[in-house]
Amino acid sequence: MNAASWGWLVLLFPLLGSIFIGLTFRRIPPKAAGLVGIAAIAAAFICGIAAVISLQGEPAESRHVADSLWTYASVGGLSIDLGIYVDPLSAFMVLVVTGVSSLIHIYSYSYMKSDAGYHRFFSYLNFFVFSMLLLVLAGNFVLLVVGWAFVGFASYALISYWYRREAATRAGMKAFVINVVGDIGLVLAAILIFRELGVIDYGAVFEKAPEVFTTTNEWTAVAICLLLLVGAFAKSAQMPFHTWLADAMEGPTPVSSLIHAATMVTAGVYLVARAHPLFELAPAAADVAAIVGLVTLLVAGTIAIVVTDLKRIIAYSTMSQIGYMFVAVGIGAYSAGMFHLMTHAFFKALLFMAAGSVIAAMANIQNIDRMKGFYKAMPFTAAMLIIGALALSGFPGTSGWFSKDEIIDFAAFRGGWYEIFAIGGYIGAFMTAIYSFRIIFRILPGPPCEEAAHLIETGHVVHGEPVNPATGEKEDIEVGYPGEDHHIAEQAMGMKIGMSVLGFLALVGGLVQIPGVTEVITHFLEPTFEDSPLAAMHPTVAEAWKGLAKGAVISVVGIAFTWWLYIGRPSVPETLRRTFSPIYTLFINKWYGDEIIDFLIVKPVKGFGRFANNWFERYAIGGLTNGTIAIVRSASGAVRDLQTGMLRGYALLMAVGTVAILLYFLIRGL
Amino acid sequence: MTFDAPTIDYAGLSPIITMTAGLVLLVLVAVFDGVKRTAPAIALLTLATTAGLLIWQWDADTPLLNGSLQIDGLAVVFSLLVVISAAAAVLLTIGDPSEHQAGRPDFLALLMASVLGMVMLTMASNLITFFIALELFSIPLYALCGTNLRKRESLEAGLKYLIIGSVGSATLLYGMALIYGASAATDFTGIASGLTEGGLISDSLTLVGVGMIAVGLAFKISIAPFHQWTPDVYQGAPTPVTAFMSAATKLAAFAVFIRFFLVALEPMAAEWDVILAALATISILVGNVGAIAQSSLKRMLGYSGVAQAGYMLAGIVVATQQGVDALTFYLAAYLAMNMAAFAAIVIHERQSGFSDSIESLRGIGRSNPLVAWPLTIAMLALAGLPPTAGFIGKLYLFQALVEADWTWLGVMIAIGTMISLVYYMRVVATIWMSPASDASLQVPSGEPGVDLDSPRRWYLVLPAILGSAAAIFFGIIPQPLVEFAQHAGNALAALIS
Amino acid sequence: MAIEWYLVLSAMLFSIGFAGVLVRRNPVVVLLCLELMLSGGALAMLSFSRLHGDGDGQVFVLMVLVVAAAEVVVGLGLVVAMFRRRIPLDVDEMKELRG
Repeated sequence: MNAASWGWLVLLFPLLGSIFIGLTFRRIPPKAAGLVGIAAIAAAFICGIAAVISLQGEPAESRHVADSLWTYASVGGLSIDLGIYVDPLSAFMVLVVTGVSSLIHIYSYSYMKSDAGYHRFFSYLNFFVFSMLLLVLAGNFVLLVVGWAFVGFASYALISYWYRREAATRAGMKAFVINVVGDIGLVLAAILIFRELGVIDYGAVFEKAPEVFTTTNEWTAVAICLLLLVGAFAKSAQMPFHTWLADAMEGPTPVSSLIHAATMVTAGVYLVARAHPLFELAPAAADVAAIVGLVTLLVAGTIAIVVTDLKRIIAYSTMSQIGYMFVAVGIGAYSAGMFHLMTHAFFKALLFMAAGSVIAAMANIQNIDRMKGFYKAMPFTAAMLIIGALALSGFPGTSGWFSKDEIIDFAAFRGGWYEIFAIGGYIGAFMTAIYSFRIIFRILPGPPCEEAAHLIETGHVVHGEPVNPATGEKEDIEVGYPGEDHHIAEQAMGMKIGMSVLGFLALVGGLVQIPGVTEVITHFLEPTFEDSPLAAMHPTVAEAWKGLAKGAVISVVGIAFTWWLYIGRPSVPETLRRTFSPIYTLFINKWYGDEIIDFLIVKPVKGFGRFANNWFERYAIGGLTNGTIAIVRSASGAVRDLQTGMLRGYALLMAVGTVAILLYFLIRGL
Repeated sequence: MTFDAPTIDYAGLSPIITMTAGLVLLVLVAVFDGVKRTAPAIALLTLATTAGLLIWQWDADTPLLNGSLQIDGLAVVFSLLVVISAAAAVLLTIGDPSEHQAGRPDFLALLMASVLGMVMLTMASNLITFFIALELFSIPLYALCGTNLRKRESLEAGLKYLIIGSVGSATLLYGMALIYGASAATDFTGIASGLTEGGLISDSLTLVGVGMIAVGLAFKISIAPFHQWTPDVYQGAPTPVTAFMSAATKLAAFAVFIRFFLVALEPMAAEWDVILAALATISILVGNVGAIAQSSLKRMLGYSGVAQAGYMLAGIVVATQQGVDALTFYLAAYLAMNMAAFAAIVIHERQSGFSDSIESLRGIGRSNPLVAWPLTIAMLALAGLPPTAGFIGKLYLFQALVEADWTWLGVMIAIGTMISLVYYMRVVATIWMSPASDASLQVPSGEPGVDLDSPRRWYLVLPAILGSAAAIFFGIIPQPLVEFAQHAGNALAALIS
Repeated sequence: MAIEWYLVLSAMLFSIGFAGVLVRRNPVVVLLCLELMLSGGALAMLSFSRLHGDGDGQVFVLMVLVVAAAEVVVGLGLVVAMFRRRIPLDVDEMKELRG
């Protein structure tokens, strides 16, 4: 079996899982549905490993397999295949996606146990994994767009999973609309690619591109890359398409963990890495990617420092870390970016899982101002939180340390104006340490809050009222609402397993990419990036270690500073807030991102829509449509009137028709 | 004097021989009371054997009977489709009330005779066999339409079909005479060479002959303005007969249309393509527009058949192999959709006392999913919505038209499709709307043929499910059907420039 | 005689037959007119056969006669069925199916 066959199996299992659970939802018990879902993704993971093994069996130059199931359409010179492309980059993404997904499925098995829509959840989750794998394995730009769109839909379905909550459905629609804007960019890019290069398969496109775009920064190449970036930014919640990610936290925690931390939001990064030959022909666009990543990194970091909703802090952290990844693939540190993608998946998913556990203990209250003293109440969750925060801040030894600094080192190495990425990266790292340990120092130590106390004393989680925490409305426990019971990690096996594995990986995951010692990922991804001059550049091992040292210092200093802020001098944050209150207001309102978009885009569009409805629709379109309807109706009446039912009438019409044809021919023949 | 028997290619003739044998057997069975019940089995066996022999002859490309018949890819593909249509019709006739009057074996014998004519017609490569086969398949159909003696409209349908049909055949005959006169040959390739050598390609009488043959064939495939029999006959005839007729007559007639116009009249393609394009356009418009306000389902399908024939005719207008491929694909898809639709209609009408109105379909989405789903899928496929085979078929037709510079005809197909959405969607909406408050289905008890259990009869459900499954399957994975269709086009590759 | 005369005659036969179908109301007479049309075609076929000195046309005409007979048989069968059901033998009365 060659790598492509394994690739097809990777796609097949989650799809089958989703369809199976979807069709049998009334007939199989919830547990069975959960197990099927887990098994499907686990099977996909195993096939991913098999694909990697079979890929590594090939010599480096031929480590890419393109395979097509059938040609879907061959119209006008364009041949669209249902084809996949298996190479180290896609195999890497497959492993990350399926690996982290299986752990999250195991976590959800326990976390969602009392939810009435259990089957629906697993069906959607499996479908999401299928779509993400389709996006990653697609072998041409058309199938990429298909996978992209499916992922958008799956995200919408899962964000508005508790569909009786208005906030959830609104958040789902917001995510979907912004994603669609990205989709449009992607489709336009695909159209331009086809128009300029005449092909849409990856292999063919990347071969032809240097022949067609002979000078760098030709405007069509830049346009294509910018349109690809529009799609990437919308999917990965970078500025200015970032406003949906915070609201997407309305979805259940496993959803936030899988989609909005580990997989879907990394699709943009994957896209830029995949299309790197195009970006290298249009370095202006690559720089745009890096700059946007940098801006997002910093802005999101500032917001995370002040927000008080636990899941939103982690969401903004995700936005910030993905900014790092965009910086990486924008400046040419492709394997560094993918490495950070992998480690981020580990510790961010872990953080969300732990957050889910805490929120469950708090009976669905997500405000960190209310949480205190969980160190004693939930030791396991606390440990996981700390591990996640350490990895996120880049504490020496953790995976985050290696991955984040590799990016910053490369930026410094490239020199010139790229130094600002290094500087920004360090500032961001400092902020990261602050906001991650802000969480730790706020909710773990100290006297237990009410819910934590209840947990310590009775060993049971507080049984909250089924009430929407945002609006306070009383909810049902039927489908479309979260269930009554909440599950915490200490008491649920599935959650424990998922979190432990991720915690372990978050700690030791960095060891695969120790500069100068192991460089597994760089070597693994080499065949994909071998045509890139940028990927060949490497900081020396000594410089790498110097960078790591700098990173370690910043991380430790940041943690210490945070400790001082929240534990040493707890009154300081309040004073800071008052003195810098305009800045604080700016941060807490998310830099007015939502308001700006509302003003710049939503209001004009709505106004235009009203105008179009009142004038254009009513008179122009309405007139045209009604006119056409009238014509068609009268024609219909005429045809039916001709059909008198009289035989001789039919014969007469036939005679008329025959005579007409004969006259035509006779006149022609003359 | 030595007697040299002519060489007879029995292998190539085997489908025809089998059909004839089955036909004779059925006529004999009609005589003996005891074996009457085996008639459907015999009919299905004959059809299965014929299909098997056709598949055996898949790669054949030989003239039979001294050039009067030609068994090649085109013949095999179209004959197979006809046989499938006939098998579905046989299944649908089981339990039909008209049989009680006509007697089941006789009914099936007539059906077999019609199929025999169609199989011969797909192979016909000589004017004489063309005419004989055409009549052989039509005349039993005239009789079959009138077999439901209990209903006056059945008789009316049969007589209308016969008279108008014979007018068409007589016109066809006269046209054949003129073509024969112009080319001094009756076999198709001889006609082509005779026309070019005789220099009579642009002669007005030759063109008149072509026109009259076109009229005769246009009548058979329900092209406007020769379509007026179609709604009446579809509505009046017993539904299994309509099911058979709607797909199979188009299949057989288009087979010979392709063979005649693209082989025999190929040298004069520039003369007749415009007129065929005009006929196609008129059919598309008339058919779609006429179907809009219909309240009878079978009548609506009749008008829609007129429009579909218009789409199919566009495949001939382009006179390229790609056009033939597209046409064959669309006909195969049309067969599947039709099978599903009419099987659902049969199930529904037997349950509801033979009401044919679209209103009687109200709310069966909930009460009768076995009728609702195939009918919905058939409507969507006929409208040409993805992911059905109807969509792919229209896509291929469009492709063939654009590549041969007939884009405006493609635009007409698109316009027609838009108009057709009105009536197809109306059926779908009616099916899935909530049922009327009063029990609008007053089943007249004791009426013969009413079978309240009809959704459970396997022989009715099978064609419905197979047809809808095929319509969806080939919409998602069109490749196998495309290759099947291309087998027909390839047979003519050498002859079409 | 030149072939044109035969062709004109056959055209006239065809047209008279067609006109008969358009005008007459008795189904049996309509069947008769159909026969006329077929005969017109057959006559044209025969004359061309004579023109080309070919036997094909004549064979064709034999076939046409058989077919015409078969057609008439079925037509008459339907007419008899009409008669038995007391439907007036008037083609114009058959208009239940319309629209």
